[in-house]
Amino acid sequence: MAKRSIVPFGPQHPVLPEPVHLDLVLEDETVVEAVPSIGFVHRGLEKLVEMKDFKEYVYIAERVCGICSFGHGMGYCQSVERIMNAEVPARANYLRTIWMEMSRVHSHLLWLGLLADAMGFESLFMESWRLREKILDMFDLTTGGRVIFSVNCIGGVLKDMDSAMLSAIRSTVDSMEKELRPIADSFLRDFTVGSRLRGMGVLKPEQAVQLGAVGPMLRASGVSYDARALGYAAYPELEVEPVTADEGDSYARCQVRIGELYQSFSLIRQAIEKIPQGPISAPVKGNPSGEHFMRIEQPRGEAIYYVKANGTKFLDRFRLRTPTTSNIPPMLELLKGCQLADVPLLILTIDPCISCTER
Amino acid sequence: MASFRFWPFAQTALKNLFSKPATTGYPFEPAHYPERMRGHVEIAVEDCISCGLCARNCPPRALTVDRAAGTWSINRFDCVQCGNCVNVCPKKCLKLAPQYTRPGAQKQTDTYTRPVPPGQEGPKAGARPANDQEKCVYCTLCAKKCPQGAIAVDRAAKTWALDGKKCIGCGLCAASCPKKCLTMK
Repeated sequence: MAKRSIVPFGPQHPVLPEPVHLDLVLEDETVVEAVPSIGFVHRGLEKLVEMKDFKEYVYIAERVCGICSFGHGMGYCQSVERIMNAEVPARANYLRTIWMEMSRVHSHLLWLGLLADAMGFESLFMESWRLREKILDMFDLTTGGRVIFSVNCIGGVLKDMDSAMLSAIRSTVDSMEKELRPIADSFLRDFTVGSRLRGMGVLKPEQAVQLGAVGPMLRASGVSYDARALGYAAYPELEVEPVTADEGDSYARCQVRIGELYQSFSLIRQAIEKIPQGPISAPVKGNPSGEHFMRIEQPRGEAIYYVKANGTKFLDRFRLRTPTTSNIPPMLELLKGCQLADVPLLILTIDPCISCTER
Repeated sequence: MASFRFWPFAQTALKNLFSKPATTGYPFEPAHYPERMRGHVEIAVEDCISCGLCARNCPPRALTVDRAAGTWSINRFDCVQCGNCVNVCPKKCLKLAPQYTRPGAQKQTDTYTRPVPPGQEGPKAGARPANDQEKCVYCTLCAKKCPQGAIAVDRAAKTWALDGKKCIGCGLCAASCPKKCLTMK
């Protein structure tokens, strides 16, 4: 047996935008086991729910993370709305769907850029992020913020989009789709990129289900599961077909995310076509009492929101299970047997979001 | 196959070489902000009634309202530009405007003082509305204007009731009363 050694990976590492630490047990250059430790960016945001008015907490929920911010605000609002039996206007649901899909586009483009950067493909990284800038401009135009939007409220949304804004989004999405093609081609057909991704970190479908993988990680292993099919916001009225791939390797995960970019463009277009006129929020009176468990599909996978209310304006408990939390056990599994040089890229393929995980 | 892989890169490289840069020359070129941009909070302090709703609903507690002194203060570095104060303001005297707060080495608090024209002082601190039931027509305008929902009016039973715990003494009810039967005492 080769001599074992332990190499610390992180919490600060060039490939990681956020801090997570792994102890990598190596035999020569091969990873035998990875032991994670988290807790570097814990901020106690769940506890804050006991001290803030439930309406005010929307602004805190969306600050859990800078990339999934819209989804967190929406997930929290929908949980409280279902406790209070609030009827959210149809237009608000459509607006939420458009913003949610725009969030997915910006999250996946961010990930593609980081992936290119992790393998040293700087120009592809810049191309991905240049494209991402366009969707951030659309967020800026419609919500007034690039990453923190503050448009969700209990009972609907705070800001409407006029027809000029909707057509601006439509034309941006059309031009982005055209510009994405050469970038997607480089990711999916380039030899160098393929050699870093193909056959790396294979996760079999049964392993993915057993270890609780979610989102693109699960779908890349061939399991067709997407929480958007559960029917929240305006998704029941739109065509949502889970994007899947069969190989279960890093390449498949990249393929699924690129497929989801095209899917999001299509969903945004569908929502803009079908968006009804009407109010954007319904008045909500009184305080919530009861509990609700809500699942939504964040860009990184299924996120779970649990709210327990006691009839006062302060909630008893808010629990958020983020996609990265579920994707850490499968990540540890796929690190086993890989080479040390592939570890950064494999960690990146789960699209880790540590500030979500630690809240 | 080799040419197939070569051309996308060559095309992108040539396009990037001869097209305008994707970035702008900020700060030498001015930045363009959209109308809705949440940069910083502005106040039309002359319209402020010091009701304090903004301060109570501010998630990071960046606002301080002193009703006696007629001042409204904001800690620019604590403010997260969520816009909750703008949403709850009953007088709509707050707004979010473009331009972020300039960076600084110390936290900076801006204080605005309301100018009081002589003889036109607003409701005194702690003043509550009193209704002259003889003049009142129970139109419910006061109840509708109350930002705290402290007034209950029953037109059929001809009753007018104030919840003293909820009332914040903003005086909006008295200002909206068409019969001028409400006075701040």
